[in-house]
Amino acid sequence: MSTILSVKNISKMYGSVHALTSISFDIPAGSVFGILGPNGSGKTTLLGIVTNVLMPDVGTFTLMGAPSSAVQRRKIGTLLETPNFYHYLSGYRNLQIAAAIKQQSEADIPRVLELAGLTARQHSAFKTYSLGMKQRLAIASAMLGDPEVLILDEPANGLDPVGIAEVRNLIRELAKSGKTIIMASHLLDEVEKVCTHVVVLRKGKLLGSGPVNTVMSRDNFVEIGSADNHILGTIIRDHPAFVQLLPSNEGLLRVTFNETVDLADLNNWCAQQGIWLNHLQMSRKSLETAFLELTNN
Amino acid sequence: MLQIIKIEWLKVKYYRTFWVFIGLGLLSILAPNFIIHDVFARRIPKEAQPLLGPSIYDFPTVWQTVSSVGSYTSGIFGLLLITLVTNEFTYKTHRQNIIDGWERRDFVLSKLFWVVTLALVAFLASLIAVFIFGSFYGKAAFSLENSHYIFYYLLQVIVSLSLALCLAILVKRTGLAIILFIGYTMFLEQLLVFIAKRNWGNAGGLLPLQAGDELLPFPVMEKVEKLAGYQVPYDNGVYLMAMVIYIVLLVFVVFSKTTRTDL
Repeated sequence: MSTILSVKNISKMYGSVHALTSISFDIPAGSVFGILGPNGSGKTTLLGIVTNVLMPDVGTFTLMGAPSSAVQRRKIGTLLETPNFYHYLSGYRNLQIAAAIKQQSEADIPRVLELAGLTARQHSAFKTYSLGMKQRLAIASAMLGDPEVLILDEPANGLDPVGIAEVRNLIRELAKSGKTIIMASHLLDEVEKVCTHVVVLRKGKLLGSGPVNTVMSRDNFVEIGSADNHILGTIIRDHPAFVQLLPSNEGLLRVTFNETVDLADLNNWCAQQGIWLNHLQMSRKSLETAFLELTNN
Repeated sequence: MLQIIKIEWLKVKYYRTFWVFIGLGLLSILAPNFIIHDVFARRIPKEAQPLLGPSIYDFPTVWQTVSSVGSYTSGIFGLLLITLVTNEFTYKTHRQNIIDGWERRDFVLSKLFWVVTLALVAFLASLIAVFIFGSFYGKAAFSLENSHYIFYYLLQVIVSLSLALCLAILVKRTGLAIILFIGYTMFLEQLLVFIAKRNWGNAGGLLPLQAGDELLPFPVMEKVEKLAGYQVPYDNGVYLMAMVIYIVLLVFVVFSKTTRTDL
């Protein structure tokens, strides 16, 4: 699998603040690559460097195997931070400018406007658009020329639930067609549903990168409950396969084991210890839990 | 470059402010000449007019008159340029242009295109003003003598626009850049010229806009100064060279700032 973006030792400081510290990772072609991290972790700074609006202090990167240049950027559809358009021009005329810079035919504009659901408002001035419509126009602009690579920074920003679902479906459809999508997002649910690979940043440092399940360990766990969870919590530690108790909610215990346990056997084992379970369920750690564990460590 | 020009045209074609500024700029070249002509032709008593010599709107003096008058109002084009450039920062479209596939130097070239275009608009409008006033209000036959003044004017407009571009790129905020530009062109440079001439002599005349002013004296004032024994201290070539150096320096700052820092 070829590499779309290869980042090598990129560092960036804003005054005395380390926005990025020696970041290196590769993005394989055809992946849906999530860039995760809390606010201020350096996600947008990283994408700003890749799109040449910010300059790294140290480090290099290549796009599609070549040093970054305008030629490469024209082949990438990018939505960075906020939608940036000329307020006094209509959506259509703004896309004419974007198409001219990308050296794409204006004939593609109706398609992307339709895709973004903006056909009816294409001739209204950008300044009259709602936040969601502005975001849709930015997505439409990124889609001009049907690029093979998309960089989407918080693509669901400002969208209503229907819009979020539409963007998620759009990303899935694009991923299915083999496009590479690089996406920074806070919405882990969104990332969980569409991303194949992730890089996790915290305070400008790389915590991990690679396939989602490799970077964020998401072992199965068993959710158990009894009349007295305090005693259950003490006894379960004696189970031969016990590994750890995960942060719990709703008064239940979440337990991981070093091997797959049969739920009937576990129930039987608890009964032998004199504890009768009133809740027993095999579950999978959510990406949010894995992310919080990773970024809080 | 043609692609850049096409994109800049798309940005302004439906921008009402742009056309209002252009209209004002053209008016600022023609209107003052009408007023000055009116003052000289109608308000100065006919008996006193022969004392002033040939009309300032007769060829070949009209070249100097229109160029000199234009040099006082060319700042309007600077205000338009500041608006066009700082709009990009306000809407963050300068970043989007780069993201979409411009090199940073393309962004600078797109703004230099406006420096040249607006200077040519001012130049052509002044040229038309020369023909209108020289032909309809002057009494002498057409002559190209003194036509070099209009090229001095073109150079001074380019200096003024380069200064506006540099301020817009450095300051980024429309209001502040406009205040600084107006403040510099209307008061600050005059103050600096006064201080410099008082302390260091004629070198004060080599400040960016003053260099052009030294080359474009108003005909009547020039006559008065000559009668008073005043002589331009430097050869014209020195002032021209100074203006070219300012243009190069200002454009260098614009390139350097845009290509080497975060957008």
